[in-house]
Formats: sequence, C-alpha cells, structure tokens
Amino acid sequence: MDTKLGNYLDERFGWRGVWAAIFLRKIPHVNWLYTLGSATLFVATLQIVTGILLTMYYVPTPDHAYDSVTYITTQLPAGWFIRGLHHWGASAMVVLTVLHLLRVFFYGAYKYPREVTWSTGVLLLLVVVGFGFTGYLLPWDQKAFWATTVGTRIIAVAPGIGPWLLRVARGGDELSAVTLARFFGVHVWVLPAALLALLLIHMYLVIRNGISAVPERKE
Amino acid sequence: MEPSSTVDASPKEISRRQFMSAAIAAMGGLIGAALGLPAIAYIIGPALTKKTENWVRLGAVSKVETGTPTLFKTTVQRQTGWIADQQEIAVYVLTEDGQKYVAMSNICTHLGCRVRWIAEQERFFSPCHNGVFDKDGNVVSGPPPRPLDRFETKIEDGVLYIRTV
Ligand code: FES
Repeated sequence: MDTKLGNYLDERFGWRGVWAAIFLRKIPHVNWLYTLGSATLFVATLQIVTGILLTMYYVPTPDHAYDSVTYITTQLPAGWFIRGLHHWGASAMVVLTVLHLLRVFFYGAYKYPREVTWSTGVLLLLVVVGFGFTGYLLPWDQKAFWATTVGTRIIAVAPGIGPWLLRVARGGDELSAVTLARFFGVHVWVLPAALLALLLIHMYLVIRNGISAVPERKE
Repeated sequence: MEPSSTVDASPKEISRRQFMSAAIAAMGGLIGAALGLPAIAYIIGPALTKKTENWVRLGAVSKVETGTPTLFKTTVQRQTGWIADQQEIAVYVLTEDGQKYVAMSNICTHLGCRVRWIAEQERFFSPCHNGVFDKDGNVVSGPPPRPLDRFETKIEDGVLYIRTV
C-alpha cells in the first residue's frame, strides 16, 4: 500500500508501524515446527468463521437442534461443507494446540521471559478442550447425548461437591433443554470471549518478546 | 502455445521477498474464495428454493355473496426450513354475476399489512398507513402502489379453488 490512500491512513492510524511490528519483526533461524502456532491460529480463525455461519441456521433446543443440523447438511448449498470444516476443524484444533505445546515444551521455549506466554497458552488449551466438549453436544443426536451424559457424569466424581457441580453443569439432574441451551451459550459466547482475550495477550507477548531460537548443543 | 521467442528478452528481477508476498497473497485469495463462495451460497440458499404452486380449496361457491367481497380463510401446509406447519391464508372473493369470480389477496400491496373489508364504506382498509382500496381491489388513496393481488380461480363441483404457493 504505497499509495495515497496508504499514506492517508498511515497518518491517521500509523498502520505501517503496526504492520512492521507484527510481520516484519526479526526472527531467529527456525524450523517447520515453529509454524504450529500459526497453524493453530489459522484453524481457530476457520472455526470462528464456520461457527458464525452455523449459528445462522442452528437452533439450540431439543425439538429443533437435530432437525436444524440435518437441514444444514442436506438442504442448504455447501451446508455439508461448512459443517464439515467446523467438525474436522475441531479435531484439528486439539491436535495442533497440543503439538504446538509440545514443541514449546521440548525446546524449552516457556522459560524466562516467556512464562506468561506459556501460561496463557495452557489456558488456551483448556478453552479449546472446552469448545470441543460443549460443541460435541450441539448436534443432539444419540452420540452427542450419551457422550455428554458420560462426560458430565465425570464431574460428580469430585469429592464432596461433585454431585452438586454435576447439577450445575447439566442445569438439573438429567440432560435436558437446559443443558443444551447452556452448552450452546458457553460454546458461542463464553468460550469465544475467553479465547479472544487470551489470544490477544498470547499474541502480544509473542510479538513483544520475540520467539526463542532453536536450542543448541553447546555451552 | 506462444513461441518461446516472445519471452521477455530482459526479464525483470523478482526478489525473493516479492515472490513470497505474491505467493502468500495468491494462497490467501484462494483460501478466501474456497471459503467465501460456499459461504455466500450457504447464506442465500433458502432464498433460492423454488416455490411450487398448488390448487388450494377455499370453500363452497354458494357462500359468496353477490356484489360484496366475501372473506374465505383456509390453511395450507408449509415447510419452512426445518419446521412444517400450518399457515392461514385469507382471501376475499367477489362476484357480480355468479359467473365470474375474482379472488383477491388480503395482503396490502404497500408493505404487507392485512386489509379488511368495511361493508358500510364499501372499501378495503389497510390499518398501517391508511391505504384504501375499492371493492375490485383498485387503490383509492394512500401509499399502496398497485391494486390487490389476484389469484387464479377455478370451480369444481361447486367448490372454489385458488392457485397459490
Ligand atoms: S401496509 Fe397497507 S398502507 Fe402501508
């Protein structure tokens, strides 16, 4: 954007400085494993886009959830494609996040001064797992229903307050309309908000502290 | 194929950076299109489904009063998205001679409020923006841009049918 418009906007936004800080920063000589973070970010973006598209038709109530999902996959043009991306993207998110974490762990990249980047990263892993868990219920088919029955039941194992926590998670004793609605709410509001907030800190720190070099075998 | 002699004699040097920028932009564009085009189809999908017209039974022709629009109500089964339900449609039927029947929609041609026949004033009134129609459905006053819509009609065994979606 070496154009007039680019200059006009740069005078007002200073976007060239921002661009340079994000994309033109110096990085050490690294390898392909260092792309795992970006890959995770890419799939996360894909999940946000396809997720927003799915909410255009999906209805989180027991009497319409399954029918609306069927409508998306069988009646709408490219509905199978959008849902397919979101479905497989969910698995890809978990796999990529864990691989990214392993790379950071084995390269010792979590050490000073990057401890906070690491902590937000671990929290992001929890968010991703939360997305997977809550999203799994939404199609409201047999697999979703029983997987969530079993999954939430695990909470009850916690000593003392376990059974009470289970009631909170389900919004009652059994899986019901309340469960579906709250899982949906957590999936599309609570977790995305947490994801964006943590991601912002995570990315800011990556840019501020730079990325670590590949550790070398010398001393 | 072009003969190879047309290849630029002094090829412009492309730097590694320029090449990478172009490649990234191209891949980004490709991914954007691969997601964007299906997304558009997905969103406009419901608007593309074709409506099928059917003959809908209104009732006995004998119920139509000569010279004054008579209201018929009927329900049609409709599939909208993932929900199948009954929708009520209301139609005013007018005949002057008991031979020709005119079936008019009660949907105001302005913005879709439902018009009502007020017998004392011999007019259809739309409650929303004071649209007024005469008994043939022509606009008398107010904002409606055209007369009330009419349905194709047929009579079989003394029963009146209209063609609608
Ligand atoms: S909708 Fe009938 S006058 Fe506006």
